[in-house]
Amino acid sequence: MVVSFKRLAKRLACATALAGLAMTTMAAAADIKIGIVAPMTGQLASEGQDMENAVKMAIDAVNAKGGVNGDKIITTTADDACDPQQAVTAGSKLVSEGVTAIVGGYCSGAVLPTLKIYGDAGIPFVIIGANSTKLVAANQGNAFLANSTGDMQATTAVELFKKNGYKKIAVVDEGDAYSSDLAKLTAEAFKSAGGEIAAKETTTAGEQDYSAVVTKIKSSGADAVFWTAYHAGGALLTKQLRQAGFQGGIVLGDGNNSPEYLEIAGSAGEGVYLLSPPTVDLLSGAADFKAKYKETYGRDAGAYAALSHDVGDLIVDAITRAKSANQKAIIEALKASDFKGLAGEIKFTDKNTLQTSNFRPVVAKGGRWVAAE
Amino acid sequence: MTLDLVIQQLVNGLIVGSFYALIALGYSMVFGVIKLLNFAHGDIYMSGAFVGLIVFSFVGIWVGNGWLGVVCALLVSMLAVGLLGVVIERFVYRPMRNAPRLSILITALGASMVLNGTALALTGGRHYAFNTDLGFAGVDISTVHITYTQMVLVAASIALMAGMQAFVSRTMYGKAMRAVSIDMGASRLMGIDVDRVIALTFFMGSALAAGGGVMAGAYYGSVHFFMGFIMGLKAFTAAVIGGIGSVPGAMLGGLLLGLLEAFGSSLPFVGSEWRDVFVFGALILFLVFKPTGLLGRSVVERV
Repeated sequence: MVVSFKRLAKRLACATALAGLAMTTMAAAADIKIGIVAPMTGQLASEGQDMENAVKMAIDAVNAKGGVNGDKIITTTADDACDPQQAVTAGSKLVSEGVTAIVGGYCSGAVLPTLKIYGDAGIPFVIIGANSTKLVAANQGNAFLANSTGDMQATTAVELFKKNGYKKIAVVDEGDAYSSDLAKLTAEAFKSAGGEIAAKETTTAGEQDYSAVVTKIKSSGADAVFWTAYHAGGALLTKQLRQAGFQGGIVLGDGNNSPEYLEIAGSAGEGVYLLSPPTVDLLSGAADFKAKYKETYGRDAGAYAALSHDVGDLIVDAITRAKSANQKAIIEALKASDFKGLAGEIKFTDKNTLQTSNFRPVVAKGGRWVAAE
Repeated sequence: MTLDLVIQQLVNGLIVGSFYALIALGYSMVFGVIKLLNFAHGDIYMSGAFVGLIVFSFVGIWVGNGWLGVVCALLVSMLAVGLLGVVIERFVYRPMRNAPRLSILITALGASMVLNGTALALTGGRHYAFNTDLGFAGVDISTVHITYTQMVLVAASIALMAGMQAFVSRTMYGKAMRAVSIDMGASRLMGIDVDRVIALTFFMGSALAAGGGVMAGAYYGSVHFFMGFIMGLKAFTAAVIGGIGSVPGAMLGGLLLGLLEAFGSSLPFVGSEWRDVFVFGALILFLVFKPTGLLGRSVVERV
């Protein structure tokens, strides 16, 4: 009898707790819910963490000032792990949670299959990092690219090659949508500008040994290497190129802008060029943000933190101008954005891409990135 | 291909092959003794690299970031991660020893995820720099540059593997290991402490993987929680090619796989993106046509 009474008491406690939970959920129903989709696990988990932190920081600041149109904003995070399959699951989860808008997306390969899900549901989606031109083609009109696209980066890359006097380039990617797209666009742009592609190689993500690729690059006679994928592989490739005695130039795509690149590449990274997205260190007005980010999260703001913060503000700005949580109105408001954030201006073209490129070439000097002039 | 290119790819293949061989050895030993495909082995390699990095950053303050630091890190990590292997065996695999093979396989996958997830949680998914002062100095054979680090690396892994082979074939413990691998029940009747032999096997296999992890970390200069995944798959392939359960087979398989990768990706008209196709294509071919591998014995299913 005693046992069963205890059990009953436990059940009662459970039921009360459940009822309490249900009530808080109901109370939260009036809030505006914004979904954050980013790689929270996997190879690029630290970038995803930065994106989530920075967006939350922007939203928290808005809530502290009383929210938007009188409503509080809450966020929910879904992990796409930079994996197309998991991204679809994450996307469906956000849709079924009934989010008003979605921000995030780091890997183009993972964002691509979700565009249809969000498009069919009519949810405004501001893409922070992913910038493959394939996304532009697959966009149903509800998605916005807050980062410059691959072809803008290819143009910046070719300008840099010409300025540095490179004639034969080896292009190396990791075989995913983002890096292979950038590799292809750059190769085409460089060829039509009169350059020569000495080698086009592909590596496996998560691999540590690039010696076979390095050997091919060396024997191809390339006078510079363009690495289009991410920083983890970029640092290893740089190190192994220099270890094998490669003397030519090394240029990195925007996925390499991470303090980890410089730490891992060490002295081999000196003099390496990077096509950088607008990071906190390159932005004059971002010092306060940088300090506050470090104070709040106990880590340095990564490459996309500033842009993520801007996108958090941008979506709030759009909801404010839409004067409601109506998704069609928010999409229209986003189209008409004329936003100035930490990372620069956000104005969209009729294809929902940025009007002006935000890439800038930087060079590694003394263990940090400085503007390349 | 010019001669220089052949020599260069030979060097490349030997280096990456010696990593594969070290990891494959642990895979193979554990399979040989308890017929378990220890999928957590790649994560043991990763744990070894992290323990090595932690030790390295502490001892580096006193002994510098040169060879002495790396050797300290290597020894401590091999000991610590060897013990981790024993703990995993004791608490994860031993209770499952008489379970169906499929259950224990799933358990191994679970152990792998626990290690991987723990490392992710502790490191936040960051890539940590493993910066040594070993430098790029070395010798040049025409255009081929071979660093001293690369030479030491290959020599060290060959020494570790030779030591292992001597241990298995020359000592009483090695004899007990071989006996347990042939017939666990009969070994127990002959007075062999089977549990201890299995624990020892896990210790040695894990220590080798940790050794490989520290060497890879110091050589490539970077350590992250995901590094064991592809390495685990390739080491498994190497073990199958050499003949799973066979110690010399694992070494041979590792080196062959390294060379296959290096030369496969430098064939004309075949891009480097085909590298893994060669590796896993070889795995499939071996599994279909010669599942016992190059040096393996056929396993008679006991009823």
